[in-house]
Amino acid sequence: MKRHITNLFAGLILVGLILPATSFAQSADEVFRAAGSPHDPKVNISFNRYYTAEGIAEITDKIAKAYPDLVKRVSIGKSYEGRDIWMLQVTNYKKGIADRKPAFYVDGNIHSNEIQGAEICLYTAWYLTENFGDVDYIREMLDDRIFYIVPTINPDARNNYMKEANTGSSPRSGMLPLDDDRDGLVDEDGLDDLDGDGSVTRMRRKSEYGDFIVDPLDPRKMIQIGPDDVVTAQRYEMLGSEGIDNDGDGRVNEDRPGVYDPNRDWAWKWQPDYIQRGALKYPFSAPENRAVADFALSRPNIAGAQSFHNSGGMILRGPGAEEDLATYNRADIRIYDAIGRKGQKMLPGYRYLTVYKDLYSVFGGELDWFYGSRGVYTFTNEIFSSFAYYKNPNAGRDQGYDFDKELLANDAFTPWASYNHPTYGEIEIGGFKKNFGRATPGFMLEEELHRNMAFALYHAHHMPKLSIDKVSEKDLSGGLKEVTVIIKNDRMMPTHASQDLKYKIERPDFVSISGVDVQAGMIVQDIDLGLSTEQKVNPAKMVLANIPGNSTVTLRWIVSGKGKYTITVDSAKGGLITK
Amino acid sequence: MRINRNKFGLVAALLLLTQVIWAQDYNNSSQLAQRLRGLASSSDAATLKSITKTAGGNDIWMLTLGTGDVDNKPAMVIVGGVEGAHLLGVEMATQFAEGILKDNLDALENTTFYVFPNMSPDATAQYFAKLKYQRSGNGRQTDDDRDGSINEDPFEDLNGDGLVTWMRVEDATGDWITHPADDRVMIKADKEKGEKGRYKIFTEGMDNDKDGSFNEDGEGGVHFRKNFTFEYPYFVPGSGEHSVSEKENRAMLDLLYTKWNVYGVFTFGPGNNLSTPWKYNRGGASKRVVTSILDGDAKLNKFASDAYNDALKLKDAPASGQQGGDFLQWAYFHFGRLSLGTPGWWAPTVKGDSTMTANKDKNPEVNYLRWAAQENIQDYFVEWTAMTHPDFPNQKVEVGGIAPFKMLNPPIAMVGDVAKKNTDFIVDLADMQANVKLMNLKSESVGKGMTRITVDVYNAGTLPTHTQMGARSRWLRPIRVEVKLSNGQEVISGRRIMTMSNIAGDDSQQISWLIKGKGSIEIEAGAPHAGTDNATVNLK
Repeated sequence: MKRHITNLFAGLILVGLILPATSFAQSADEVFRAAGSPHDPKVNISFNRYYTAEGIAEITDKIAKAYPDLVKRVSIGKSYEGRDIWMLQVTNYKKGIADRKPAFYVDGNIHSNEIQGAEICLYTAWYLTENFGDVDYIREMLDDRIFYIVPTINPDARNNYMKEANTGSSPRSGMLPLDDDRDGLVDEDGLDDLDGDGSVTRMRRKSEYGDFIVDPLDPRKMIQIGPDDVVTAQRYEMLGSEGIDNDGDGRVNEDRPGVYDPNRDWAWKWQPDYIQRGALKYPFSAPENRAVADFALSRPNIAGAQSFHNSGGMILRGPGAEEDLATYNRADIRIYDAIGRKGQKMLPGYRYLTVYKDLYSVFGGELDWFYGSRGVYTFTNEIFSSFAYYKNPNAGRDQGYDFDKELLANDAFTPWASYNHPTYGEIEIGGFKKNFGRATPGFMLEEELHRNMAFALYHAHHMPKLSIDKVSEKDLSGGLKEVTVIIKNDRMMPTHASQDLKYKIERPDFVSISGVDVQAGMIVQDIDLGLSTEQKVNPAKMVLANIPGNSTVTLRWIVSGKGKYTITVDSAKGGLITK
Repeated sequence: MRINRNKFGLVAALLLLTQVIWAQDYNNSSQLAQRLRGLASSSDAATLKSITKTAGGNDIWMLTLGTGDVDNKPAMVIVGGVEGAHLLGVEMATQFAEGILKDNLDALENTTFYVFPNMSPDATAQYFAKLKYQRSGNGRQTDDDRDGSINEDPFEDLNGDGLVTWMRVEDATGDWITHPADDRVMIKADKEKGEKGRYKIFTEGMDNDKDGSFNEDGEGGVHFRKNFTFEYPYFVPGSGEHSVSEKENRAMLDLLYTKWNVYGVFTFGPGNNLSTPWKYNRGGASKRVVTSILDGDAKLNKFASDAYNDALKLKDAPASGQQGGDFLQWAYFHFGRLSLGTPGWWAPTVKGDSTMTANKDKNPEVNYLRWAAQENIQDYFVEWTAMTHPDFPNQKVEVGGIAPFKMLNPPIAMVGDVAKKNTDFIVDLADMQANVKLMNLKSESVGKGMTRITVDVYNAGTLPTHTQMGARSRWLRPIRVEVKLSNGQEVISGRRIMTMSNIAGDDSQQISWLIKGKGSIEIEAGAPHAGTDNATVNLK
C-alpha cells in the first residue's frame, strides 16, 4: 500500500513538473468572468508590472505558441546591439488572405524610458487572442483585419533604462554611440547610481548660501526660499541628478549613451541636428527605425497606425511642425477629430491635441512619416498623467507625494541619506525613483493598458470595410446586358486618405469583371439622373482613385456573353473582395 | 628605392598609354573599373574600394588619394556622375585623380582626396546601350506615374536611329513654335506677345497605356541627385519613396559621416555655384529651416567663384542645374562643408556673323547648333522627318531634334584641356585650406612653482576652419585645444581641454594657462579637417 502511495505521489510530482504553469491556475469551477476580460486565458501574464526586452521576447513567444491559428511571431530586424525586434501578426489565419486584409500597425517604446507602450501591445495581442473564441466583436475584428504589433522598437535602450543608472526621463535615446560634448571621446560621462538604489535620484548639500530648506512636515519635500522669507532652518543647495564628473572635464553627466532622438529619424520633412535636435545622419539611420520603415513599405495594406509614448495623458495627431500645416486636409482632419474625440471619452484625463500647436514643432517624427509619406491615419498616445492619481484636475503639484504615502506605501521614494561625494564632499541623495512619475504605477496599469487598447481597436474598426453590396442587371438590345454594381464602404476611413490622393502615394483601387466580354465601362455619379463617366481604356478593369468612407461607389458595365461572371474589388488598404 | 622609381616610371608610361587607348570615347563601366584599378595598382598613393553595388548590380567606386596618415589629413571629396546623362562629370573626376597622381603628388602631403568618379553607373550605362537616351534613374523598378503598373510606357525608337529624340505634332491647340533664328529648335509661344502655338511636343515614342501621357514610365529608377534630404521633393518621378532610400546614396553618406577630416566637397554635375556664387538672402537664412546660404559662407563662395572664373575664363554659363534633393546643396546645408560644383563645360557662345539671324534670347539650343556646326561635331542633330504615328492618325508628326548627350558632353578629345584646368583649380583651392598652427608659445614664471603658458592658435590657411553652417553641425568637430599633463602637474587657472567653433583664415585666438608643477607639458590644437599642431614647453 505504502509503495503504491509513494509511487502515486512521485507520479503526481512528475506530472506536475511536466505540465505547463497554467495547469496550476484555477479550474473553471473556481472562476467567474469579470465583464470584458478573458477569465480563463491560455497564457497567464501579470499586467501590474513591466517587462524587459527578454521578458517581451518570452511573452510574445508564449502567445504565438498558444494560438498558432491566430498569431505569427516574426523578427522584423535587429537592433543596434543585435536584439531581435519582435512583431506579432494577429488575424484569423483560417479566413481570407492575411496580408490582403486592411492592417493596423501598433508599436511602443520608441523612447526607451517610455515603457508602457510595450505592455499595451502585449495586452492587445493577449486580449485579441484570448477573446477570439468568446466575443463576437473580437472574432469579426480578426476575421476582417490583421494587426501588426511591435511591443518595443527600442529594446536595447529599454533594457538600459530598466537595468542601468537612469532617471524617469532617461535615456530616451537609443544606444548608438555619439560624442555629445564633441571632445573626441564617446559616451564617457553618463549618469551614475551612487547609492545603488537602482535609480538616478537627486543630490543636495547643506550650505549656508543654499536656496532650499527641507519641508518641516514632510522630510521628502524641498521648499524653495523666496526673496522675502526669513529662514531659521538649515539651508540646502540642490546639486542636480546623481552623478560624478567621470572624465574630469569640469562637466557632470554630459556625454551619456547616445544621445539622439529616435523619433526625429523618420523620412517626412526630416531636418538635420542643427535644425531639429536629436536627428542623426539621414532618415532611418537607426537600425530599429529602418526595420519598421522597411516593413511598412512592404505592407501597402496598413490603413491605420498607433504608437505609444509617455507621459502627459494625450492623444496626438500631426502635423508635427508648423511648416507642414498643408499636409493635413479638412477631410482627413474630420476623421482624426471623430476618432480623437472618442478617445477623450474612453481615456478620462487624456486630451486630443495637435503636435505642432499644442506641444512643440518636431521634424522627422514617426507619426508624420506614417501619415505624410504613407497616407496612414496615425495617432500617438502619451500614456499616463498625474490626473490618474486622484481623478481631480485641481489636486495640486504635490499630489505625487500624497499618492506615494497614501496609496503606494512609500515605495516610490528613496529617503534622503548621506553620501560622501568625491567632488562635493558630504551630500545627501534621495528622490522619487525612476519608475514613478511617467510610468503608470502597478495597480493602475491594467486599466491604462485596456483603455488604450480599446482606443486602438476603435481606430482599427474604422479602417475601410468594403463589400460588393448590390449587383443588378438590365437587358439591352443586340445581345447586350447592363451590369450595375454598388460597392460599399461601411466605415469612416476612405481607401485613400487626402494626403494619399494628393501625391498618389498608393495605387488606385481596381474593380474588374471577368467571365463576360466587356464592351464599355463607366463610373456612375448619379444613378437617377443617369450621369456617368466612361473609362475609355481597358474597361474590364475599372480604375477608382478612391472609395470614400461611409459611402458607396457605383459602376456600370455593358457586356455581352452568357454565363456567370465574377466581380473583384482590389484595394491596397480596402482589401480583396470577390463576388 | 631605385627599383620602385623605375617601376613607377614604367607604370606611369603604361598609364599614359592606357589613357590614350581609353580616350576614344567616354568610359563604360568595365573600362572605368579597369582604369581605376590601374591607378590603384600603379601607385602607393591610391586605394580603390567599392562601397556598394547599385540595384542594377554596378559598383560604386571610391578612390582614396593620400599619403601618410590619410584619414587624419584635411580632405576634399571629388564627385562625378551625380547626373546619369553627364558622362563628362565621370571623366573629369577620373582625370582629376590621374592629374593628382601624375603631376601633383606633393599636394597629398597636406591634403587627402576621396574621389567618387561615378554615382549613377546604372544610368550612365544608357550612353552605351542599343537605344540611347539621357537617363538619370538607377536600376530600381519604379512606378513613375504611380498608376499601379511598372514601366508600362517606355520610349520607342520610331525612326530606328538608335536614339530617343523628340516628336513635333502639328496641332493648333499646341503651345510650341519654331525659334526665329533656327527653325530646327522648338520654343514655347509667348502668348503675352500675341504669339500662337502651332505644335505639340513629346519625347519619341507611343502612348502605350493610352493615358494621355507619353513615355512617362520606362526603365529607371531613382535619380541619385533627387534622393538627398535638402529640399527633398516628395513623390515626383525619380525621387524614390523617401529620401536616402537608395543603396548608393546611403553608402556614400555612411562613408562621409565617418570622415571627420573632410572640409570640402567638389561636384562635377549640373549644379553650378562657381560661375555664379550662391547669394545670401536674409529671409531664407533666418527661417528655422534654412534655405539660403549664410552670410559669411556667401562671401567664401564668392571668393571661390571669383578664383574659378579667373582661372578658367568660361563665360555665359547656363543657369545652374541644381534642384531639391541634390548632392551639391546637401553637402552644404546638411553636411556643413564648403560645397562647390560645376558642369565643367558648356558650348561657348558663338558670335553670329551677318549670314545668321541674331540669337536674341540667347537660346542655348540655337547656340549649340551653331557651335557644333563650327566645330564639325558628328551626328549632333536628327533632321525633322515626317512619319505616320498610330496615336496621331490624322496629323502631321515629325521625329527629330538634338541628339541625346550632345549638349552636356563634348567630344572626348576636348575634355583633356578643361579637365586639367579644373584639376589645377582644385589643387590651388586645397593649397588654401585651413591649417591650425600653434604660434608664439611663451612661458613665464609666476609666484612659487607656477608657470603661465600663453600661445596663439593660428589658422595659417586662407580658408576658415569651419563654414558658418559647419560650426552649427554636430558632424564637424570644433577646434580642440588640450594641455597634456604628467604626474604632479596641475592646471590652476584655465581649462585643460577647450574647444573653439571656428578660426577664420589668417586669424588667431590667444589662450593662456596657469600651471603648477615641474617638467614639460604638451599642447595639442586642431581638428581632423583643419590640421593639428602640437608643441612642448618646459615649466619654469
